[in-house]
Amino acid sequence: MSLPVTTPTADPPPGGQARVRSPWAVARAAAAAPFTRREGRELLFCLAGLPFAVVVNPLALFILAVDLIWLVAGSGRGNPSPADLAIACACLGLLLVLLVSTGAARGLGSLQRMIATRLLGMRVAPPPPARRSPGARAWPGPGPRDGVGWRVMAYLLAKLPVGLIELYAAFCWITGLVNVGYPLWWGAFRNHPPGIRLSPVPVFTPFGLFGEGTFRVATFPGTFAAAAAGAAMLLAAPWVTRAATSADAWLIRGLLGPGRLAQRVHDLELSRALAVDDSAALLRRLERNLHDGAQIRLATLAMNLGMAREKLGDGGEVPDAAAVRELVNAALRGAKDALGELRSLARGIHPPVLDNGLADALASLAADSAIPIELEVSIPVRPTPAIETIAYFCAAELLANAAKHSFANKIAIRAAGQRDVLLLSVADDGTGGADAARGTGLSGLAQRVAVVDGRLTIASPPGGPTKITVELPLSA
Amino acid sequence: MNVRVVIAEDAALFRAGLARLIEDHGHRVCAAVGDGGALLAAVAEHQPDVVVADIRMPPTHTDEGLRAALEIRRQHPRTGVLVLSQYIETTYTARLLEGNAAGAGYLLKERVADVAEFADALERVAAGGTALDPEVVGQLLRASRRADGLAALTARERHVLTLMAEGRSNAGIADALVVTGGTVEKHVASIFDKLGLPQDEADNRRVLAVLRYLSS
Repeated sequence: MSLPVTTPTADPPPGGQARVRSPWAVARAAAAAPFTRREGRELLFCLAGLPFAVVVNPLALFILAVDLIWLVAGSGRGNPSPADLAIACACLGLLLVLLVSTGAARGLGSLQRMIATRLLGMRVAPPPPARRSPGARAWPGPGPRDGVGWRVMAYLLAKLPVGLIELYAAFCWITGLVNVGYPLWWGAFRNHPPGIRLSPVPVFTPFGLFGEGTFRVATFPGTFAAAAAGAAMLLAAPWVTRAATSADAWLIRGLLGPGRLAQRVHDLELSRALAVDDSAALLRRLERNLHDGAQIRLATLAMNLGMAREKLGDGGEVPDAAAVRELVNAALRGAKDALGELRSLARGIHPPVLDNGLADALASLAADSAIPIELEVSIPVRPTPAIETIAYFCAAELLANAAKHSFANKIAIRAAGQRDVLLLSVADDGTGGADAARGTGLSGLAQRVAVVDGRLTIASPPGGPTKITVELPLSA
Repeated sequence: MNVRVVIAEDAALFRAGLARLIEDHGHRVCAAVGDGGALLAAVAEHQPDVVVADIRMPPTHTDEGLRAALEIRRQHPRTGVLVLSQYIETTYTARLLEGNAAGAGYLLKERVADVAEFADALERVAAGGTALDPEVVGQLLRASRRADGLAALTARERHVLTLMAEGRSNAGIADALVVTGGTVEKHVASIFDKLGLPQDEADNRRVLAVLRYLSS
């Protein structure tokens, strides 16, 4: 499912994670760009993806097959060789397999996903498994009826232009490198005696494939111009690569993943399971609290009263009045404790002040806190009770967390209703380092929030400050 | 009668009250512990006449006490086991009394409010008798599939049957109903006759027979 906890991060520019954008840093990052590991992986990704654009592409196969059939049919240039025939048949066969077999399409999809995961670190969930009617043969699968297979086809078609950009990116890298090498080989191979005129050597440029009619060098100093052009291309190459991989990643996410509807169903299934678990755990906790709290207190109270009654006897003189008084006092204390226990239990189920709205409930929460709290609430449209309850318990838990772990001097709670979203944030000036991965509190909150399609965002660098924002829809 | 008791209960206040109650009745509390493991150790050390154990104790907070009780019944057959619980669970009683009702008891915790009754049950279990909570017996009677057999009993006989299932002796039943021992014997004979149960003199075997009848 889409991660309910998000930590804001920025995509680093090619070549480094320069955070401070001084011109010097940008220049340095740009200069270092071609030599980072990430750029290398992106280039590899471009190259690895090429077969998808060319070899197993339905459009490419179709064109090739038509071309060869035209040749075979005799309206072309002449006698077809057996090799041409074989290739045409292979193309047609491959095309047929791609179109008919879901398994093949799905396999291609998962292969491309795997490459993306390995090289780009992308995580794309696999699409849901094909639903086979019982008795249907496993292969060839029900191609036309399987949406996943068709989406792989769509990806392969879209991959054709994207693949061209990827190819161009690879071209920039290779030709850039070659250009940079001009001054090196010039001395080795063009060391002819002076006076001999040599034909000029074409230089690669980003605009003409082999420099035809664009840029040629004929002298050794000229090779430095070629090297400069190559360096410029190497600096530009990461950006082209990044653009191509980004476009491809976008396509992969959109077409090779589970699909929006399937993803949604998956998310809902997950959040439903969480909600069911959560409520079961809640009931269990409630039973435990009753059993170990109020119930045992009342049993003790009854026992004390029973002992007191026995000591009081059947009337007349009471031999041990002091003991009776002590027992009755203990019973009274027990009754008060049991009442307090029940009150806090009831408040834990549903705080009555929440009936007056979130503003009052948050104010009462703030009043109970040992750390000074600055509260700011502006909720023009009242959310539904379920959302108010979730928001309240989030605030309560976050406050408790801050009190327990942050060593903060001040906490700010803000609740704001914006159109159809309720934004609740709890910020403290404490030591920071809150992490949903450590401890179950925050991830539990994130799960509860995700049940209503909400989101929990944690910004808590080590050393602080911490700000945790909960985003909830106004109605669930 | 001076009985040596070991208490196992995780709620400290209740444990202290229980110890006091038992000592007020002239018995001796050898040890009062808070979980099943400590209970087994204390029993091995003190060899008490009876153990009073809470069912739900740390660390698992499930049926720790019951499992410890079964272990004690296996290892120390002469030690009576009185289990205290907050649940009316007939499966727990069935596990506790399986095959042998001698020196075993199952009472709801609130039963301690009736101090004399509780002390009586404790002494009964310590002496090898049986003590079953009236609520549990009531539950067994309500859920019993022998409704027609039970329907043949008079109201008085049903009452006697309930008291029998609780583990009381004829004398105890006579006390509770304020009748003579002879009357009780007559009722008991009539019940056994109507339900087709074999007569048995020992109280705990009588309990088992009745329970078996009710749950069959």
